[in-house]
Amino acid sequence: MIELNGVCKSYTRGSETLVVLDHLDLHVDRKSFCALMGPSGSGKSTLLNLVGGLDHADAGTVQVAGHTLDTMTDGELARFRSEQVGFVFQGFNLIPVLTAYQNVELPLLLSPLSRKRRREHAEYALELVGLKDRLRHRPGQLSGGQEQRVAIARALVTDPALILADEPTGDLDRESADQVLTLLLRLNQELEKTILMVTHDARAAEHAGQVIQLDKGRLLEEGLETPA
Amino acid sequence: MALVPLSYNLRSLLVRRSATLLTVLGIGATVAVVSGVLALQQGFERLFAESGREDLLVVLRKGATDEGGSVITRAQADTLVKSSTEIAVDPNGRPEASLESYLAVRRPKLDGGETNVPIRGVQQATFRIRGERLKIVEGRRFEMGADEVMVGRKLIGRIQDCGLGQVIVFNTTPFRVVGVFDYDGPFSSEIWGDVDRFAEALERKVYNRAILKLAPGVTVEQFSRHLEDDLQLPSDVLTERDFLMGQTRALSNMLLFLGGVLGLIMGIAAIFTATNTMLAALAARTHEIGILLSIGFRPITIFCSFLFEAILLCLLGGLVGCLITLPLHGIETGTINYQTFTEVAFAFQVTPRVLLVAISFSTLLGLLGGAWPAWRAARLAPTVALRRH
Amino acid sequence: MIKVPLRLVVKNLLRHPVRSILTVLSLAVAVFLLCLLRSLVVSLDAGVREARSDRLIVQSAVSLFVYIPQSYDTKIRQVEGVEDVCSWTWFGGYYQEQSNFFAQFAVDSDRLLSMYPEMVLVEGSEADFLADRRGCLIGDQLASAYGFKLGDSIPIIGSLFPRTDGGTWDFQVKGIYTSTSSNVDRKTLFFHYKYLQESRDTGAASGPSNVAVFVVRLMDGARPEEVMARIDALFENGPQRVQTTTEAAFQAQFVSMVGNIPLFVSSLGGGVFLAILLAVINTMLMAAREQVQDSGIMKALGFTNLSVFLVLLLQSLLLALAGGGLGILAALGVADSIAEMIGSQFPGFAVTGETVLLAATLSIVIGLVAGLTPGLRLGRLNVAQSMRAEV
Repeated sequence: MIELNGVCKSYTRGSETLVVLDHLDLHVDRKSFCALMGPSGSGKSTLLNLVGGLDHADAGTVQVAGHTLDTMTDGELARFRSEQVGFVFQGFNLIPVLTAYQNVELPLLLSPLSRKRRREHAEYALELVGLKDRLRHRPGQLSGGQEQRVAIARALVTDPALILADEPTGDLDRESADQVLTLLLRLNQELEKTILMVTHDARAAEHAGQVIQLDKGRLLEEGLETPA
Repeated sequence: MALVPLSYNLRSLLVRRSATLLTVLGIGATVAVVSGVLALQQGFERLFAESGREDLLVVLRKGATDEGGSVITRAQADTLVKSSTEIAVDPNGRPEASLESYLAVRRPKLDGGETNVPIRGVQQATFRIRGERLKIVEGRRFEMGADEVMVGRKLIGRIQDCGLGQVIVFNTTPFRVVGVFDYDGPFSSEIWGDVDRFAEALERKVYNRAILKLAPGVTVEQFSRHLEDDLQLPSDVLTERDFLMGQTRALSNMLLFLGGVLGLIMGIAAIFTATNTMLAALAARTHEIGILLSIGFRPITIFCSFLFEAILLCLLGGLVGCLITLPLHGIETGTINYQTFTEVAFAFQVTPRVLLVAISFSTLLGLLGGAWPAWRAARLAPTVALRRH
Repeated sequence: MIKVPLRLVVKNLLRHPVRSILTVLSLAVAVFLLCLLRSLVVSLDAGVREARSDRLIVQSAVSLFVYIPQSYDTKIRQVEGVEDVCSWTWFGGYYQEQSNFFAQFAVDSDRLLSMYPEMVLVEGSEADFLADRRGCLIGDQLASAYGFKLGDSIPIIGSLFPRTDGGTWDFQVKGIYTSTSSNVDRKTLFFHYKYLQESRDTGAASGPSNVAVFVVRLMDGARPEEVMARIDALFENGPQRVQTTTEAAFQAQFVSMVGNIPLFVSSLGGGVFLAILLAVINTMLMAAREQVQDSGIMKALGFTNLSVFLVLLLQSLLLALAGGGLGILAALGVADSIAEMIGSQFPGFAVTGETVLLAATLSIVIGLVAGLTPGLRLGRLNVAQSMRAEV
């Protein structure tokens, strides 16, 4: 599903150049649930952004879901994102002026689906995450855990093969975090979604079948636990 | 009571640089427009008002709104000058009174189109009365009895045929331009000649007004009564100053009205802009306000701080507006004074009054624009303000 | 095809209703002002534009205020190409106070209405007017401004022609007219020249003799320039030289006298436009700042840079159209009242379709320009950065 070879990425801030990813190689199989861990500054989020086509690598090849991302234009990447990837972020990143339903529906506006079909998909996604009764609520009226679940519903709604989650439980209390992780596990096992999750929470990593450690822009080891 | 430091406001304005800049420019444009109109009005008013003499009287036919409409016949004029002991007399025994005619004559402009130029027929006595203030800038004074004229300085470069040596034809009679004169006030937009020669050429054998000085101890009321009762010449008698002020009233008021309307309308828009800017500032600083409140600053302090910032913002705008308007000072322009229907040239005058109005206006804008956001800022509950969203 | 979620455009505008309303209102106010200013300038030309090509004006060559002999009437009639002649004489009086300004003319009344087909009587009749030597015709706007009605007696104080007994001239309203073109003012009072002449002759009043201008109607097919030249030549040697012009040129002389005013008003308009543009840019920059995160999300979801740019631009356009529309409607609403107020100085004041179009175009331009920079900024932002951005 995901294949990275010799990927390099650095950022320049002022006069300093920071090397974030240093000749990184990565291989993630289809239908796996991977946790990406490492100390802060190790490049986890950057790696996720590259996989999701949100950013360009300075060197190396990035192949995701059969697409070679490093040679794609911005327009092609946008299309790639809308069809192949679902994002879940730490800060929920819902659009505050839209209702839960409207937020979930948003990615579908990029597809040729009719209004009726969009409604079906969006309501189904919200049902999956257990929030069908909160359709009309705005993000401001939802709790942290509920907001994150809406974000997951939005990530699902276009039925992408890959879900990328960046610290999805970071801002949540214990109970909500467990709810979210259970949900992600379900998506992986029942709906066969490939999930790549960045986290620094060891307990969150336990839910994943595979753990990848990053340090100073390089992979440390690969955990070889078999899926439960 | 602790006050929120000034530097806080200044820093806030600098941090939100683009919003500050845009608001300042917008208010600057508003103030510039209003000041510009005011400067025009001041220029016009000053031209007339400051040149009017208090010791000289103007006599017009009663009810006449301007010189052109006032008529004094030859017979009446003779009686007026010869039999009035109320008129002052100069060392040589000659009465200090002169009769003049006034007509707005159509002349082509140098840059195309036509306009009305006043021609004034004067007697010898006018020169005595006007004295040193009347300066010949080029050439010489016209000769009484000759078909000659002298033109006011401001007509040069605006009106055709006004150069030295050129000839202007009035009706069927040619008049040669023999001099250029200057006199502060509206006279320098006029053409002067011998009243009798003009009367012949134009077949208008009447005078339009008399100018005179009263003998010591005689009041205007006494003289007025004398004219009405003794001479059967009901008249309006005014000082030259009052007369000139009256001549400007219509246009002056129109310009003031225009300035007022513009100020009102553009001011409303400017207030909206200022409110918007301050509301955005409030939204960005909600957290800081929460901290200030929790430290112990009082809501009234917060209110004053915001209001002050709004006023500061608008004052900066006002300053910019003044800077834009200042270069206008002294620029000459001309228009028709539609009270007399004659062209008059004057310059923009950015007087202290204009600047004062600009500054007051800006302050008012700041006050009105900042009031509501300041009030909202003061009403923030610390717990709400400190909450992270 | 570009996908732009319109819902987002509207919702973002409603996010800060106060700000949006204030921006719309200030735009409305500015556009309102611009419409009125332009209409003012346009109205200066109205008289010229609508002038008739079959009428000439004969005036003194020297000055509008020099009167020409009434006896010229016979001579002008005999000029080839002239069909009819009617004299007009400015009366220059006022009603009650000097500030009550409206025009009064003494005319050859039996020919007035035939020379001016634009004048249509809405009340009273020409016959009644002609029958009463003190009769007068008044414009409908004059009637409504002062509440004059058919049959009323209007006392006018003569300043140019004062009555020897110090009293007023009393004219009897025998007809009320309206005008079908902005060429003829609707606030004028017309009365019989014969009455003026008679009053002077009997000593009941004093004032300049003769008439101010002659209005000449051309025969069909007559060439204006030729007739003008012939009339001028007639009186080349006096006693009063004349200058004959077309009616359009006559009106134009008043406009050109006004000189710099159109320029002045345009500068004002420019200042107003600039001020309001800055205000809207300010609003859109604020909005853009708030929508940085949303833009990032949208791009992450797969919306293109162009869609994100358009979302901001459309907000700007909507505000501009709403404000501009409101301003135009307001200007149209007060146009008639203003026309009545300033009708004497600016006859033909009206908010024309051209002005409306110009105002609408300006609003759209403001919307586009104000949304451009903020929109581009959002469109170009790197996705990762924008989602981490602190507002």
